[in-house]
Amino acid sequence: MSDLPYGPPVRVSPLIRFGRWSFLTAGILYGAFHQNRLSKKEAKIREIEAKEKVIRDAKLKEEKAIAAAAEMKALEEMISTKK
Amino acid sequence: MAGVVAKVPSMISSALTQAKPKFNIFMKYARVELAPPKLNEIPQIKAGIGKLLTSFKSGAWKQQTVKQATLNTLVGAEVIFWFYVGECIGKRHFVGYDV
Repeated sequence: MSDLPYGPPVRVSPLIRFGRWSFLTAGILYGAFHQNRLSKKEAKIREIEAKEKVIRDAKLKEEKAIAAAAEMKALEEMISTKK
Repeated sequence: MAGVVAKVPSMISSALTQAKPKFNIFMKYARVELAPPKLNEIPQIKAGIGKLLTSFKSGAWKQQTVKQATLNTLVGAEVIFWFYVGECIGKRHFVGYDV
């Protein structure tokens, strides 16, 4: 024991050691528990968004098709009236 | 590049042989300072908690010197920080949750 470079080891009070280890394990448990809870919530939100995405994509496609048709019509009218 | 890769196992083994005595010294300190409390130390823990509570209730915590108060604050803060270290380990991500 006399050859340790920093002198004899400090006798930390058991209350402090108990507090440290109990907070550490409590933190690990809380972290795992909270992560579980949040990832379940996020999975549900992702499902809902995936459904809405399909609906939204269909709507956007429709609107684009209508806009393209209107543009084509306007172009043709321009050409025909110019003549 | 092949020369460096060929040297890696010998580098690892030399690092390990260098680190072993230092690790043993660390373990000598850790067995006394970092060990979890044993069962026969529980009455000491209870007495310590009781002392804390009575000093809170009787207002004796105001009679400390400023130096003692800062030391106690630092030690208390360190004990509380271990909770957040544990939380980082539990959620397996450093900053925030990985959803």
